Amino acid sequence: MDATQLLKGVLDVAVLAVVEDEDGYGYDVVRRLRAGGLEEVGDASVYGTLRRLYTAGALTSYVVPSEEGPHRKYYGINAQGRTMLDVQRKVWNEFSTTMNNLLEAS
Amino acid sequence: MTTSTVTPEIVTFAQGVRAALADLPADEVDDLTEGLEADLAEAYAEDLQRELPDPAAYAAELRLAAGLPVRSKSKQGLLSGLGDGLRDTKRDIGIAIRRNPALAGIADFLATLRPAWWLVRAWVAYEVAIHLIGAVNGNSLWLPTDLLQWLVLTAFVVVSVQWGRGRWRFRGLAPAIVVGNVVAAVLLIPMISAAESHSGDVYYTDSFEEQDLTGVYLNGETVTNIFAYGPDGKLLKGIQLFNEDGKPLTTSVPGGNGCLDPDCNENGFWTPSYLETGQTAWNVFPMQMVGMIFNEQTGMDEPDPAAKAQDREPPFVKVPAVVTAPKGEKPTP
Repeated sequence: MDATQLLKGVLDVAVLAVVEDEDGYGYDVVRRLRAGGLEEVGDASVYGTLRRLYTAGALTSYVVPSEEGPHRKYYGINAQGRTMLDVQRKVWNEFSTTMNNLLEAS
Repeated sequence: MTTSTVTPEIVTFAQGVRAALADLPADEVDDLTEGLEADLAEAYAEDLQRELPDPAAYAAELRLAAGLPVRSKSKQGLLSGLGDGLRDTKRDIGIAIRRNPALAGIADFLATLRPAWWLVRAWVAYEVAIHLIGAVNGNSLWLPTDLLQWLVLTAFVVVSVQWGRGRWRFRGLAPAIVVGNVVAAVLLIPMISAAESHSGDVYYTDSFEEQDLTGVYLNGETVTNIFAYGPDGKLLKGIQLFNEDGKPLTTSVPGGNGCLDPDCNENGFWTPSYLETGQTAWNVFPMQMVGMIFNEQTGMDEPDPAAKAQDREPPFVKVPAVVTAPKGEKPTP
């Protein structure tokens, strides 16, 4: 089984969890996901997911000017995003428990 | 935040990514790729061994994750450009609907009703067809009344459903189906009203223009009164007439008037009869008539309150009585 296939289904909740921890810009979120163990996550997948969650109303966004380089676009979680995260957390917990039970039983 | 430099390679790569997203609205591309150079510069500052991926593959991954559709192939020419524009608009609307749970729910609900629409558009096509070929007959236009009409309707239903299911499609048919759907939607209401106005008429006519839905007609002439004679050939009174659907057969409406005397020197109002329910009935024959007077206050003719409703002159005092058929003979229909 390919872990990258599994990742596609849970990238939303992973990104939400990282941003809930602390606001972050695109590559910052990628770095934190990788540091958290999702080493195979693709930059573009994370940027696209951030954009989609923002369009769906789960994230806020603001630009931080930089004197040394290009401006940074930061993403932060909002109330709708927290609700979404809570729901997805529950779904994940139930799903992973079910899978663990299934795999351990056999 | 790591301080990093945007190299020319990164600029070229970012341009390639934006070019691969060029079919999307400009705002969308800007939002998707804002900060791309900075992010890449930072990523490659951390890992100098890393190679830049294929811009098109990178753009495809970005699209997929952002929930945007894969790129449509661009075509040359004004017409195909228009087609692309329509397709893009349709896709943008589709994306907007999918992003809103309430709209997505409505869209899913409507999608389940599609088979009903396939039948409706087949019916509209059938109605148009029978009007065009002049196969209109009978007093019900809702459904076919003869074998030919059933065949026509069945053919339209089969074609419409097969199209709807995505069968029987060939190149170039899609625009025709779109046009057909629009035409069917536009014609739906007129066809329903046409079918409605032809249902349950008490007379048939070849012309659609000269329809007066009130009254009884004989060879195109208005029937003003009806005289019924019993089996014994004698004039009957107080006969209530109905058509096959139970609708009252009326020759006049409230306010209807006609000649009071044979020479038409005076006019009179037709008068209704009264039922035991207290209601007035205009389908009781022979109808009676009452004289009219001119009301100077209202400037209108009114029934003369002093006059009594009078019987109309019957065409025959008596007609031949009905007898049972002589032995060995049967009436020919």
